Amino acid sequence: MQTSARKKIKGTTASLNRFGPGAQALFHVLLGLFALLCIIPFVFVIIISFTSEESIRQIGYSFHPLSWSTQAYTYTFQLGDQLWRSYANSFLITIIGTVLSVLMCFLYAYPLFRKDYGYRNFFNFLSFFTMIFGGGLVPTFVICKSVLGLSDNYAALIVPMLFSPFNIIIMRTFFQTSVPTELIEAATIDGSGEYGTLFRIVFPIVTPGIATVALLVALGYWNEWFLSLLYINKNMNIIPLQYLLMRMQRNADFLAKNSGMIGADASRAATQLPSQTLKMALVVFIVVPIACAYPFFQRYVVSGLTIGSVKG
Amino acid sequence: MKRLVSLVLSLALVLSLCAFAQADDLPTITIMFHGSNVSDDSVVLEKVNEYIADKVGAKLEVIWGTWGDFDDKATNALLSGDSDVDMIFTCSWSADEFNKYAKDGYFYELDELVDAYGAELKAAIPEALMTAATVVGPDGEKHIYAVNGFKDTATQIAWDVNVTLLNELGYTLDDVKNLGFFGWGEIFAKAKEVKGDAFYPFLVEPMVAERAVTNTIIVTGDSGNVNLLSYYMNPDDLTQPTEKYGNVMLNKFATEEYKAFAETMRAYYVAGYIDPALAVAETSNDTRTNAQKEANYLIGTQSYAYGYEYSAEVTSRGIEVAYLPCTDPYVDTTVSQGAMIAISSASEHPEESFKFLNLLNSDPTLMTLLNYGVEGVQYNLTEDGLVDFYGEDNELLPGRSAYQPWTNGMGNVTILPDTKSEGAGFRKAFQEFYASGKAIPVLGFIFDSSEVETEMGALANVAAQYALALDCGAVDPETELPKFLSALDAAGMQKYLDAANEQVKAFLGE
Repeated sequence: MQTSARKKIKGTTASLNRFGPGAQALFHVLLGLFALLCIIPFVFVIIISFTSEESIRQIGYSFHPLSWSTQAYTYTFQLGDQLWRSYANSFLITIIGTVLSVLMCFLYAYPLFRKDYGYRNFFNFLSFFTMIFGGGLVPTFVICKSVLGLSDNYAALIVPMLFSPFNIIIMRTFFQTSVPTELIEAATIDGSGEYGTLFRIVFPIVTPGIATVALLVALGYWNEWFLSLLYINKNMNIIPLQYLLMRMQRNADFLAKNSGMIGADASRAATQLPSQTLKMALVVFIVVPIACAYPFFQRYVVSGLTIGSVKG
Repeated sequence: MKRLVSLVLSLALVLSLCAFAQADDLPTITIMFHGSNVSDDSVVLEKVNEYIADKVGAKLEVIWGTWGDFDDKATNALLSGDSDVDMIFTCSWSADEFNKYAKDGYFYELDELVDAYGAELKAAIPEALMTAATVVGPDGEKHIYAVNGFKDTATQIAWDVNVTLLNELGYTLDDVKNLGFFGWGEIFAKAKEVKGDAFYPFLVEPMVAERAVTNTIIVTGDSGNVNLLSYYMNPDDLTQPTEKYGNVMLNKFATEEYKAFAETMRAYYVAGYIDPALAVAETSNDTRTNAQKEANYLIGTQSYAYGYEYSAEVTSRGIEVAYLPCTDPYVDTTVSQGAMIAISSASEHPEESFKFLNLLNSDPTLMTLLNYGVEGVQYNLTEDGLVDFYGEDNELLPGRSAYQPWTNGMGNVTILPDTKSEGAGFRKAFQEFYASGKAIPVLGFIFDSSEVETEMGALANVAAQYALALDCGAVDPETELPKFLSALDAAGMQKYLDAANEQVKAFLGE
């Protein structure tokens, strides 16, 4: 009797949650279209990177180019040292930056969440304030370069982005919603020290939050090029791939905008710029690793959601 | 006690480090260039430093700014008072605009240094270039604030004609010359007929075309992206003002000459002689350079520099190209401040820096070394003593492809040796050609827009909306030009013009 009742209830909820076939189809189409919207630009980039220069000159970008060519990739591989070094730099900066930044975020957000921490409000304010009021470009540059010595070294590409108030707020909120205060009290009663509580009790619970923040930070580091522009002047061995690409792009933009002013020099320089296909080939190089990182982070994010639903 | 000991020890460490630093012989001076394409400068700098050690008494380091990142790097370095940058490229069109930055005190005043160490420099470059680098400083007096590069010191706009195609169509260069811009319709029609509908014979950079047709100049200090002011040159005698307008700054878009230009462009556009992609700022440049490379045009525009028709960019098109100049070469403020090197006022070694600039602009060995690189690495010498950047396989030498500075941004290019692609005697002819440049009446005039900055911003926004489309013929001037003009008036055009003309009068001493 009991079982049948449960079945009945189950049946009702299930039927309540079920969509009609029409709606199902509609949602499939909508989501399918959305997925296409996301994937088409990238497919287009890949196609362009395999298009021949002549085809682009004659008919512009097209899904059906007149002729194909792997010239962009051959050229990219001939870039040799600079390309692979920048590629390695991108990885290095992203990995070290992400680990350090997440660690800082985690350690800063934890006390902010503990109600028994006296200076909570002060430190909350301290980080929040910088989110609204920035120092501006030039003062930041002076502090980073003259005071902290961030110039022509890897630290210059990592340190300025280590601390993110936004991530700290995300992290703190995550602590507040998923870590019950009772749990920490229980741990203390059982004789756990502060570090033990933090790393052995709290850390495993908040991995989804950490994964989320890590994903944001990793994306930020991977796509960062402005820091290289500001702080790397002489040591071009340490620039990341993204900057290599941005430099080409900005050169092209500059020459387009100023050709009337600089005259023949600009026309001359414009013809020496890397081709469209080369740019697209570099985009492929840039996008692939970070696209591969998504499923990895997603695993943690999804598992976090499951934990939440089970508890609820 | 322990603390005291550790303090003393760390102090000792710091002091010993200082002593060590002092033992390091020569000071380092750093220069920031524009427009470079350099990935490996090690061999060159080693030689340069060997060469300048005694002559300058310093070690050189170079920041190879590129077209895209120079503006950000330069303004940051100057505004933050970065003492790591001693010398920096500046000119009338970069973000560290020479006149403004000199006036605001970011550049080191060179008067005394020029007198003390600049004898060679003064002998090597024309007096006029020194004058162009002498501008108002923070104290309200005129001083020398930069070492002006001796390059193409005059300018002119030319029509770039695809002679091969022109002859195919049964026309000659004289026809192009005689018919003139307003009469090219029939040639374009013929081209369209022969080459088919997808062919666009008139390949213009719209704003350059406008100046080419109306014989106007860029007024230094005018709004950068879209110029608002026009000064009309007298094509019959460039040193005199036109009878019609005199020495007056005009609203570029309000003259009958502009209207005639825009109407003709409209007619050409409607007839399909101009590629619509040229009217879109984002695609304009790519479209133009691609069509040029493919020789897919009949007539185009070009800010002309001497010898351009012999450069690889033009010869690689595989057609015969001729340039029809719209005026004789002329010298205006913009071109006379086209490329200079200033010393940052934050520099700790202004003296060494100036000695270096003096040497760079007067010593062929140093100039060649820094520009063309090291023989055997960046280039080879031919039997006639010409510089050849290409190897036996006709490919750029690997050393050169990793080291391509922007020659015109470095200083005195007239002391460079001839290259194989330019041919023997090129530099001499180059120098003679530019010596013939005529100074227009308002040479040296710099519009100071500081009092009308608000108006300038508003006007530039209005102009950005209309100018390109009108210059290209993409919209009808009958309806759009009046709208544009009234929008300009509403944004304060009259005040802007009045400010400019008041300054012109003061400049000419009227």
